[in-house]
Amino acid sequence: MSTIVSPPVPAAGNETVLSDTDVLIVGTGFSGLAIGTRLARQGRHSFALVDRASSVGGTWRDNTYPGAACDIPSHLYSFSFRPSTSWSHVYGRQPQILDYLERTAVEEGLLPHTFLDSEMLDAVWDEQAQRWDVRTSRGRHLATTLVTACGHLSDPAIPDLEGLDTFTGEIFHSARWNHDVDLVGKRIGVVGTGASAIQIVPELADLAESLTVFQRSAPYIVPRKDRAYSEAEKTMFGRLPETAQQLRAGLFWDSEARFPQRLGVPAFLAQMKKAARDHLAAQVADADLRDRLTPAYELGCKRILLSNTYYPALTQPHVRLETSGIARMTETGVVARDGSEIALDVLVVATGFEATDLPFAHRIRGRDGRLLSDHWAEGGRTVASTSVAGFPNLFVMQGPNTGLGAGSIVYIIESQAEYVSGAVDFIVDRESAIEPTVEAEDAYVADLDLRSQGTVWLSEGCRSWYRHPVSGRLSALWPDYMHRYRAENGAFDPAPYEILGSGRTVAAGQAR
Amino acid sequence: MNFLPGVREGVVRTSRARVTSYDSTDPDDPRTPVVLLHGTGGTATSHFWALFPMLAEHHRVIALDFTDPAEADGEPDTSWYVEQVEAVVAALSPHRRVAVVGYSFGAVVAAAFAGRRQELVESLVLVAGWTRSDQQQQLRNEVWSRLHAEGSSALPAFMVFTAYSPAYLLARTAPELADLVASAATGRDRATMMRFNRTVDVSEDVAQIAAPTLVVGCTADQMVPPHHARLLFGGIRDARYVEIRSGHAVVHERPAELYHLIDPFLTDPARTTPGDVILQEAV
Ligand SMILES: Cc1cc2nc3c(=O)[nH]c(=O)nc-3n(C[C@H](O)[C@H](O)[C@H](O)COP(=O)(O)OP(=O)(O)OC[C@H]3O[C@@H](n4cnc5c(N)ncnc54)[C@H](O)[C@@H]3O)c2cc1C
Repeated sequence: MSTIVSPPVPAAGNETVLSDTDVLIVGTGFSGLAIGTRLARQGRHSFALVDRASSVGGTWRDNTYPGAACDIPSHLYSFSFRPSTSWSHVYGRQPQILDYLERTAVEEGLLPHTFLDSEMLDAVWDEQAQRWDVRTSRGRHLATTLVTACGHLSDPAIPDLEGLDTFTGEIFHSARWNHDVDLVGKRIGVVGTGASAIQIVPELADLAESLTVFQRSAPYIVPRKDRAYSEAEKTMFGRLPETAQQLRAGLFWDSEARFPQRLGVPAFLAQMKKAARDHLAAQVADADLRDRLTPAYELGCKRILLSNTYYPALTQPHVRLETSGIARMTETGVVARDGSEIALDVLVVATGFEATDLPFAHRIRGRDGRLLSDHWAEGGRTVASTSVAGFPNLFVMQGPNTGLGAGSIVYIIESQAEYVSGAVDFIVDRESAIEPTVEAEDAYVADLDLRSQGTVWLSEGCRSWYRHPVSGRLSALWPDYMHRYRAENGAFDPAPYEILGSGRTVAAGQAR
Repeated sequence: MNFLPGVREGVVRTSRARVTSYDSTDPDDPRTPVVLLHGTGGTATSHFWALFPMLAEHHRVIALDFTDPAEADGEPDTSWYVEQVEAVVAALSPHRRVAVVGYSFGAVVAAAFAGRRQELVESLVLVAGWTRSDQQQQLRNEVWSRLHAEGSSALPAFMVFTAYSPAYLLARTAPELADLVASAATGRDRATMMRFNRTVDVSEDVAQIAAPTLVVGCTADQMVPPHHARLLFGGIRDARYVEIRSGHAVVHERPAELYHLIDPFLTDPARTTPGDVILQEAV
């Protein structure tokens, strides 16, 4: 098939066709780069990537807040096919991770295939031409197969606070950090106590005149076993690559051994709860503060956080933990539910992302014009957590049921890239479109629902973004071990698909 | 602590001993039970706190606490322990075959049971097991015995030092390492089993094993170094082999990896063929 029609440089009107390829990938984070690298190395199929931002990197381009770092050790939270020996610490810092992803794009030769500043506005399955017609802010892209790699933590969620727009101070989301604001000596508020907030708070405590942390629920926090790698270690990883590989494997199996916590297995829960309790006791002497920092929900319901510096930050005299809730915002700050007024110069919103109603799903129309977000109105439905009935030749990376309570998302992303690449081979070889059957989708969803039963995420009193707000289904997470994801969904299998095209429909199983 | 809510604890008697048993479901469960046999100085809960609940998600799992003879009854031989497995299987899962997973000393007993009671064993997993005690093992056993006899305060640290891989110990914080040593000082008396371990020889039983067998060796095992597992692989007709990067305490160090290897084997032993060396995929 044809390749890129025009180079990415000149801006184009909305109707100009900028590329016509076998595969179009939307998003250039870990997911987009994983499948892009695979297709580039394979060299069989034409492809293009688009991203709404001006550079690649996804999460790690957007999250530039002070203290940003990963929570899964970098030797695991990186591509197996591009091991890096240069991670400075066990947990790489955001600039390093971004650099790693940018290098991936450059060294794998992906940039010539990439269209930046190109937001996907809509994608429509063209039944006649049996291909996707994708409109972006810069022009059109045509492709036989569409891969969305838009992320599930990429669109900031802003809380609906009364009087938010009356506030005259600076306000920004953690994933859209305003680096122009000088924070030194300011009165700062942070809303949220999730993974981002607990990385931000200790950094801001060092700068601020006063810092108020608005907490809705206290997270479980355990020690962060971080340390710098020595030059000798980094060189060793390079000279003896198997040492880095063994480290990676060890980290992987350590994460896997945390899954039984999510099944509520008593010994596993007890171990982790003790770690969290001991950590809190060791770092916070004040009984009242300790009380307010003690989680009120079962361990594992929400992400378990890692930090050695968050609790100590909260014990400083100029730092305050506000737990009564935010009643409303005023011009000058926050009025808490207990009536107290907190004057602020800056409010940092660290309340996470639109993860249950994925924004890109509102922009994709499959057969008969059906909108993906309508198909998913009660939570994501897929086959293999990747393809969708009614949406031919569409593959969703990091969509429903791919998130993890404990583990490296990159492992799932690589499994998905392998699956999608097998599907693309199949589609191109057969010169036909494929689509999972409704029955296969129903069966997959039913099976996941069954597995989700008995996990902590569906336990009584556990509310989190992992569950769909309408149906209550566990739609964001893969409710099993990572290794089982790969064993079951890591290779394309045509059995649950039907082959569409040349006017007739054949079950893929029969066609084999 | 119990493994999981709903696990039934019971007592089974042999002609000579009382044995505590654990069952994740009940005798009406149509699935082939998986019987877990713990190692030296352990109990079902202390060694299988991780593996029992992991396996119990999709299997019926049975475990037992081996009982040592009272002092007046003299030293135990292999039959002493094999009898206990026979009794538990007969009581909890009569008239049917079982899958047996033995770890360390439990792998020795499992091999003897599988060799002697071929008709009862559908499949077999031997983790960090051995056939005949050799002089490398006897040397460690000797040091242990002397420290034990002297009531040495160095004993727990020595046990931790020999049980875990360097990589595992390095990854602990100082308080975690201290906890590990402190907990080695508690636990059941292992002196009887340690004497038993000095002179193990189940080579005749091993030669009789007919069931499909998965042999697991641990690369950094100082207590039962992997050459023993390789010999089991050589000595059992229908065996396949895999190595885990771990010390002897693999049930604590790498339970998820162990589970990942054991579960598919138990579900379908025919997935691999006799003589296969299973290579772990890169993650
Ligand atoms: C602060 C933070 C820390 C994290 N730490 C970890 C960790 O330690 N371990 C872990 O496993 N996971 C972590 N995660 C989860 C993380 O999101 C994933 O690991 C991973 O980065 C997701 O990659 P992705 O490519 O799927 O999505 P993203 O990195 O979100 O990339 C999506 C891309 O799609 C683009 N895009 C979206 N919509 C459109 C559109 N309509 N048109 C065009 N382009 C579009 C975006 O601009 C973006 O570049 C973290 C997340 C955050 C926010």
